[in-house]
Amino acid sequence: MSQSSTTTEIPQEARDRARSLGWEEGLIEIAIEQGHSLQEIWQALRGGVDGVRARQFLSGGGFVRPDPWWMKVPTEWGIRARAADPALGLSIQDLMVGTYGDVPDVWTNRTEIARGSFPATVGEDMGYTIFDKAIVWADCCVPLYEIAIRDRWISATDLDWASLEPLPAEQEKAVCQLMTELSERAYLEGAILSGWLPAISYGYLELKLFLSTVIYDLARHAETFRKRALANGGGLGLQAPTDYSRTVAESRSFVELMATLFVQDSMLLTLYESGDLIAQNPLEREMYRLCARDRQRYMDYQVERMKHFLFKTPERREEQQLYLNRAEAKLVRDWNDPAVSEPLALLLAGDSRRMDEGHRRLRELRKHQVSAYLANLQRTTITRKTLNGRLQDILNA
Amino acid sequence: MAASSTSTPALDLSWLNLYDDATSATPGKKGMTLKEINLGRYADSARGPGDSTYRLRGAIARANAQRFGPNYQSKADVWSENCLMLYDEATQRQWSSARDIPWDTLEPLSDEIERAMCQLCTMLTEVEFIAGDVPGQWMPFVSAQDFEAGLFLMSQIMDEARHTDVFRKRALANGGGLLAQGSGLGLRTLIEARDFTEMSVLMHVQAEGFVQSMFRMGELIGQTEADKRIFRMSAQDESRHLAFGVMHLKYVLDTEPERREEIHHYLDKAEGDASGGGSGDVTFPPVFESLCILLGGGVDRFDEGVQKFLLLRKRQINEYVHRLAVAGLGDRRERLGPLMAQFLEPAS
Ligand SMILES: [Fe+2]
Ligand SMILES: [Fe+2]
Repeated sequence: MSQSSTTTEIPQEARDRARSLGWEEGLIEIAIEQGHSLQEIWQALRGGVDGVRARQFLSGGGFVRPDPWWMKVPTEWGIRARAADPALGLSIQDLMVGTYGDVPDVWTNRTEIARGSFPATVGEDMGYTIFDKAIVWADCCVPLYEIAIRDRWISATDLDWASLEPLPAEQEKAVCQLMTELSERAYLEGAILSGWLPAISYGYLELKLFLSTVIYDLARHAETFRKRALANGGGLGLQAPTDYSRTVAESRSFVELMATLFVQDSMLLTLYESGDLIAQNPLEREMYRLCARDRQRYMDYQVERMKHFLFKTPERREEQQLYLNRAEAKLVRDWNDPAVSEPLALLLAGDSRRMDEGHRRLRELRKHQVSAYLANLQRTTITRKTLNGRLQDILNA
Repeated sequence: MAASSTSTPALDLSWLNLYDDATSATPGKKGMTLKEINLGRYADSARGPGDSTYRLRGAIARANAQRFGPNYQSKADVWSENCLMLYDEATQRQWSSARDIPWDTLEPLSDEIERAMCQLCTMLTEVEFIAGDVPGQWMPFVSAQDFEAGLFLMSQIMDEARHTDVFRKRALANGGGLLAQGSGLGLRTLIEARDFTEMSVLMHVQAEGFVQSMFRMGELIGQTEADKRIFRMSAQDESRHLAFGVMHLKYVLDTEPERREEIHHYLDKAEGDASGGGSGDVTFPPVFESLCILLGGGVDRFDEGVQKFLLLRKRQINEYVHRLAVAGLGDRRERLGPLMAQFLEPAS
């Protein structure tokens, strides 16, 4: 064989393994002299060929045939997944058949292993920390994954950038200030969610796939808003306030993270849905519409995850109120920042000389956001006992 | 009712006067890409010092901004000169494992071939899973000053989700199932990395490079049109991940040449200490054997398969060494461990 060489250096690891398999001294060299490559010898050693079999093969001149034990492992066989909805194609929902569709309440394997495959007898702990279905799971993540892929869009080409017309300077600045804030919020949320991926074990594969679409959506939102800020005679304004976002970053668990994010995720969804009120041109209207569609999927997951979590762990219901208290308080602080409220008020009124009217409209928008937030919480079966006082005031106004 | 939230607050409007230069990016041939908005004081070339917040490059700092924990302060730590282009390409070339694979071309295969394909897919759906976790792990440490590198990593997370799902789909679509877990496959080294560049060299350049060389032989491995398409489409994505890693390494070696020996050290470990296969190890027996069966065309043509496997391995190693040379680490070829060095062709 082609790799033969009398000067082949034999790795110590190969010698050690040969010794442990009972290969007599010098057998590796004989194999090399017979023209077997180091790689073939290595494969025989990795395949657990013992000294007796190795000697037999070498005296016969052939190479060690494997014992393909992996062909006979007792996994579920004979699966022929088919697209239930031909328009959607072969979806991950279609793979939820037989044992492959079993998402266990508790996943016990600490190694990296595809759910449904045959576990190795021993393996290293990969360091996952999330092994409970209740913490991360919502059934809707399975269909939503493929819908996210079907509905994805491209900011570079799906928005009509050439249609932008100059705006009065103050309006442009207001759009840009809002874009600066929203871009940062999207990027930060994507980065923090990304950081949680390595915690989630393979038992909840479909959820991780869905979260990957959320992360990718957030990346797109971040760059779309930046593009809008830099496309029409403005620029980037003041960075976003940090109170709410710090709370997100401070989360000690996935449960806390999700409860904390719930507040802003709901409020931003409503803001984007109200995009027609703040958009200054068709491009912005379309941008908000597309972002709202992305965020709706994410909200559906948030709602169902929380509902499922509370159903499975009723003893942790009160704890969620603590996270919501904290997140609401911090978000309200951010909302009161002039660089957050004034651009919105200006855009709602259309003119900095009508800021009274702008603030009146902003109170309406905030009221709409808070009621939608409470409605989303209601869908999770949470009734807010101690809604933040400022939010309550907004609601009562 | 609290007056502060129901009546109009005193106007501040200071945010209206923070800058007065006007920026007007215009769309190019491929629309409004990241390249089009990489201009003036917003460009990566105008990057100022970072901070420990998520303030995106070019945004004006708040005096009272809280820090979010440590991140990389130096551009070279995470940057790759092609990351803008690679992110844009990723957005344009997303595909759907549900609709872009001609699943209806799958046809019943002999039991041993189907089992070999399912074993290979079991290994791949396992490997692709960690390929999303690893960039995820580093996202919070990428400075928002270099947010395009972050955007690229988030696009990679999406790509790897698709790869994870497409190999699972293949294993469950043609009368088979998942088979044996790959025990280890050298994957832990990827998540063990304690530095972004270490991670990128091990994952983007080595592991994804090996996977890429294998996907490029997909015409020989795949038995049906659907199989071949899966490898082709996945290879397209892997070439972006690989390109990021090669250009990141080049950026580091160009701007911080003092890191050369440190990087060699990571590779000494990854090539030597492990089984010699490197990360995403195809020499794990079930993977080696299933590849030989697929490449040879059956268990009875295993020897032929072994010869093709050796070609695959040769291709993996030589392409790996070539990529390192492109990045400026051409001297790596003198330091390869014997299990890799056996395949090395003379330097051209
Ligand atoms: Fe991949
Ligand atoms: Fe990849």
